[in-house]
Amino acid sequence: MDFEPVIAALQAAFPDVDLAPRAAPLDDTFVTIPAEGLRRAVTLLLEDWQLRHLSTITGLDTGEYVELLYHFWHTHGLTLRVTLPYAALRIASITDLIPGAAFYEREIVEMFAVTVDGLPDPRPFLLPDDWDGGAPLRKGV
Amino acid sequence: MTKVTIPIGPQHPLLKEPLSFLLTVEGEQVLESTLRLGYVHRGIERLCQERTYVQAVHLIERVCGICSHIHTTTYCQGVEALSGLQVPPRGLYLRTFLCELERIHSHLLWLGVLAKNMGFDTVFMYAWRDREIVLDVMEELSGGRISHAVNVIGGVRIDLDAAHTRSIQQRFDELERQVEKALALINNEPSLKARTQGVGLLSAEQVARYCVVGPVARASGVDVDLRRDFPRPPYDQLKFNVITHPAGDVWARTLVRVQEIRESLSLCRQILAQLPDGPTSVAMKRRVPPGEVVSRSEAPRGEVIYYIRSDGSDKPARLKIRTPTLTALITLADQLRGVNVADVPVVLSGVDLCIACADR
Repeated sequence: MDFEPVIAALQAAFPDVDLAPRAAPLDDTFVTIPAEGLRRAVTLLLEDWQLRHLSTITGLDTGEYVELLYHFWHTHGLTLRVTLPYAALRIASITDLIPGAAFYEREIVEMFAVTVDGLPDPRPFLLPDDWDGGAPLRKGV
Repeated sequence: MTKVTIPIGPQHPLLKEPLSFLLTVEGEQVLESTLRLGYVHRGIERLCQERTYVQAVHLIERVCGICSHIHTTTYCQGVEALSGLQVPPRGLYLRTFLCELERIHSHLLWLGVLAKNMGFDTVFMYAWRDREIVLDVMEELSGGRISHAVNVIGGVRIDLDAAHTRSIQQRFDELERQVEKALALINNEPSLKARTQGVGLLSAEQVARYCVVGPVARASGVDVDLRRDFPRPPYDQLKFNVITHPAGDVWARTLVRVQEIRESLSLCRQILAQLPDGPTSVAMKRRVPPGEVVSRSEAPRGEVIYYIRSDGSDKPARLKIRTPTLTALITLADQLRGVNVADVPVVLSGVDLCIACADR
């Protein structure tokens, strides 16, 4: 699948922001989406481009902010990057759009202490029930 | 009738790995189910961030106790792409040879587990006996039956000579005969069909909604295989069929996996016939240039994905692993709804769970 028109459509949907598309090795392209526009971007990928395969969601703490990476794939990878400042660690759930995202969002909640609004079942599923060690993949926690 | 909630696990006789289920049943029928993971969560992602790229290879080999080699393959492929390393063709062929052997061993192991869980011990014995052929070959090549430590960043540490190649080919003949017998049995044995047909149904639409990968997706008629759709060398030089089946039940998954063994055997033979000459690895630099990469491979259970970010040091700044079992686990609530309690083991076996993979 040729991703250039998809990226152009995403850029047209967010005219005020520079999506900064960047090619990564092994056939992947990273674009940066504003956090509040995530659901709009995912809806666009699903409805206009039938891009339904979400491989996973990666969370990562850079030491200055938290990044979430939504890895889509269809013979070529497309990754949506969302950055969240420590002061506002919230993101809208996409589980109602892509049911397969449920476990990945739960992992983001327990590993990075990011609040996922609208996630049907936010209970931890990897860490012990009585875990009190904070979010294990956050820097300095 | 009264609803009863039955906890199963984390330790239970069905799986050798810990996984906890809560089944709500009414009489003999399952109404709903929830599951809980994490009993073998080892924090491998975080531990890798505290180790060098070279040390992480050995830790990643232990993500999975069945398909250990595909994990190091996917990780090394990512680090090599970030570092701009060109693995010599012979190294790539040998690496892929082991990937395909591993697929055969994983599918045969699974066939045995499924047969055992439905009380068909004869097939279990045959499948695990034939699996030994592959395990022997892997042990001769690497020194290990399951953990091979074959991959290094930049290639592989093993090589193959002509006498060894001939000996392996002879044993493939025997394995091929046994696989044909297994296929005939799956197609004709009424008791096996009675237990698996129409059980654990998953439609192509459900596969797409839950982003399911691998043989489970292919057995629901979804034609996806990263070896063909995202071909890393040498898959672009090899011929094979992607096996699909429209039925979407456990029987279709059995048929797809056993037919895939046949394709993997053909791939192994092609690799041995085409094995290029030359070195098997190149030296890597200790530090990896800053950047990020998403590395994907087709593991025995489907797409495995590694995200690696480098900050220019000798340790990964972030390493994320998503194994194919996680995608299959999400579908279990749908698959178990409405099934007979006696069919629960068959449904659970059908998706080929690897809990250590899912927990990491």
